[in-house]
Amino acid sequence: MAALERLKSLGELLTARSSILPGRAVLEFKPDDVRRLFSGLIEALGPDGFFVSTISATDLPGEGKVRLDYFVVLLPEEETLVFRTYLPRDKPVIQSVSDLVPGALPGECEAYDLLGVVFEGNAQLKRGFLAPEDAVKLDEYPLRKDSRV
Amino acid sequence: MGGRKIVEVPVTLEVPVGPQHPALHEPLLLRVYAEGEEIVRVEVNTGYNHRGIEKLCEKNSFHKNVFIIGRVCGICNTVHTDCYVRALEHLLGIEPCRRALFLRVLAMELERIHSHMLANAVLALNVGFENLFMNIMLDRERVMKAKEVLTGSRVMADYIIVGGVRRGLDDDKRDKIAGLLDALAPRLEYYKRVFEEDETVLKRTIDVGKASRLDAVRHSLLGPVARASGVAVDARASERYDAYGELDFNVVVKSEGDVWARAMVRWDEALEAVRIARQVLEKLPSDGNPVPDERKLPRKFPAGEAYTRVEAPRGELTYYVVSDGKGPNPYRVKIRTPSFNNIVNSPFMFVGYSVADLPAILASLDPCISCMERVTVIDVENGARRSMALRELAGGA
Amino acid sequence: MSAVLSGTRGLSAVRVIRYSPWLVHFNTGACNGCDIEVLAAKTPLYDPERFGIKLAPSVRHGDVLLVTGAVTKKAGERLRRLYEQMPHPKFVVAIGACAISGGVFQGSYSVLGGADKVVPVSVYVPGCPPRPEAIIDGVLKLLEMISRGEV
Repeated sequence: MAALERLKSLGELLTARSSILPGRAVLEFKPDDVRRLFSGLIEALGPDGFFVSTISATDLPGEGKVRLDYFVVLLPEEETLVFRTYLPRDKPVIQSVSDLVPGALPGECEAYDLLGVVFEGNAQLKRGFLAPEDAVKLDEYPLRKDSRV
Repeated sequence: MGGRKIVEVPVTLEVPVGPQHPALHEPLLLRVYAEGEEIVRVEVNTGYNHRGIEKLCEKNSFHKNVFIIGRVCGICNTVHTDCYVRALEHLLGIEPCRRALFLRVLAMELERIHSHMLANAVLALNVGFENLFMNIMLDRERVMKAKEVLTGSRVMADYIIVGGVRRGLDDDKRDKIAGLLDALAPRLEYYKRVFEEDETVLKRTIDVGKASRLDAVRHSLLGPVARASGVAVDARASERYDAYGELDFNVVVKSEGDVWARAMVRWDEALEAVRIARQVLEKLPSDGNPVPDERKLPRKFPAGEAYTRVEAPRGELTYYVVSDGKGPNPYRVKIRTPSFNNIVNSPFMFVGYSVADLPAILASLDPCISCMERVTVIDVENGARRSMALRELAGGA
Repeated sequence: MSAVLSGTRGLSAVRVIRYSPWLVHFNTGACNGCDIEVLAAKTPLYDPERFGIKLAPSVRHGDVLLVTGAVTKKAGERLRRLYEQMPHPKFVVAIGACAISGGVFQGSYSVLGGADKVVPVSVYVPGCPPRPEAIIDGVLKLLEMISRGEV
């Protein structure tokens, strides 16, 4: 994959590599490195060399984890890479990157409100961004597997 | 004189999840703060109506979800089902016959045309050109007819399914669709010219609501909004899904980044869509029956994850489907609609422009037809609230 | 809420609404499928104005409320308030499967499941979405019912 070549400088941050269908590279990183990762992307590709398309949080109660995936599109090839990290389910906290990459804002707000992932530094996080009032009152995150909604 | 005012724009969107903000009484889309006539700040409130679709998908089977997913958005239901179904096909390792793939493209391109005509018609309405709105909507009926001939329904196609499509296309129907496209194409050319030449349109759309290329990329803007700012992204060209790998088409890009450029991108894309649809009709393969037997579809899905992208009329739409291999339901379905990015990240495109430009800028983002809604203008100084049609703002509030 | 016209429903309602019903359209969180067909119903091919059908300039001028969407809890509150703001005589038409019963979203924890959970509905127009002709037909059936004093 030509696009991956340009990310050599991030090599030390990427702890594992796998893929999801159809043949999309999944690059794992440690939660603490999220800001270094995105600063590194900006440096390697330029601020207009990529965009954050989708942020997806998946509850994995069986493993005691929440999986967080950042689907990033590299330009100009428009190739999608998945940057993946795992957070402890009882304390899913990670630093926000929405100041570095404003495009990450909606995804972070959504993952917070629906699954409880806290993005430190994102001042716009709020309960009720998407979840209904009764879920908020019960302190429930609808997309958690044990949610009572 | 020129006091401070707040404009509240209500709306509902096509996002799959979304509620009312507990602090607000109305499901607002935008709250716009103005000093005199100048917009100084915009808050986007995700006051959508929560339907709990992602959770609903975990409670229903992979196959049943195809029909729920189509109802995430009535305007672009075909691209939603196509994207979700392709994720399932990746998990199952199956590929439909080429005839089915061509037919899927035809359905999606017809949908693109109707959606773009609707978006530009609403834009025309929002700049005070009701006659143009009515004319575009009249011609749009040809596309609705074509969709009905192909899929059996004007709006909710329920056309795409794992393994192919749900209806075949015979020669009579093919000719009927070709005839409708022949009557439509010159009208699209005509409307494109109107948008290039008409004073009313030009005055209200040129240099309004601009987004630079850098801002478009950094804010993850998508679709015609991004392409109008010079960002050459189009999932059809990069993914070459279904039959796009065998068809010839251009990715339409402009550089002005304003409301006008977005409208022009939509007209050019509608014309490209006609071109693609004609190619499909001419080159339609006969390599098999495009309609699978729904009773024989695989019910057991192996464990795996798939992430699919589709170019919806509003931009890149993505589905992330996780199967744990244990049952008939998916473990996770994540849907990210293009409007989620475009609208939530839109505030910067309004700031600095006049309140009278608000309807045009909003319409250029193609949120949904509910921008026909009434807005509330609050005069901060005296607390007076006025309700008016969004397009009336264009006349000067 | 005792409007000036209350108690005079029969003849006044017929006179006021029968030949020029003013419509208000409210989307309680639909997929927009019904909404674009309601919109299409107002365009030249369907020419609703020949029946005197027009879009009301505001809720307070509305005669007939067209409701689309499955009606979520929060939208339900807004729907109720909108209905209360309409002066008598007023009627509600539920457009589409979602407004009738919640459609495919029936059973979702945030959906009430149908307009008649919140407001009195006189006519139900089934479909997902119903065609523009069906929507106009639904309004016309309402007008006929009003003529016959059935609502």
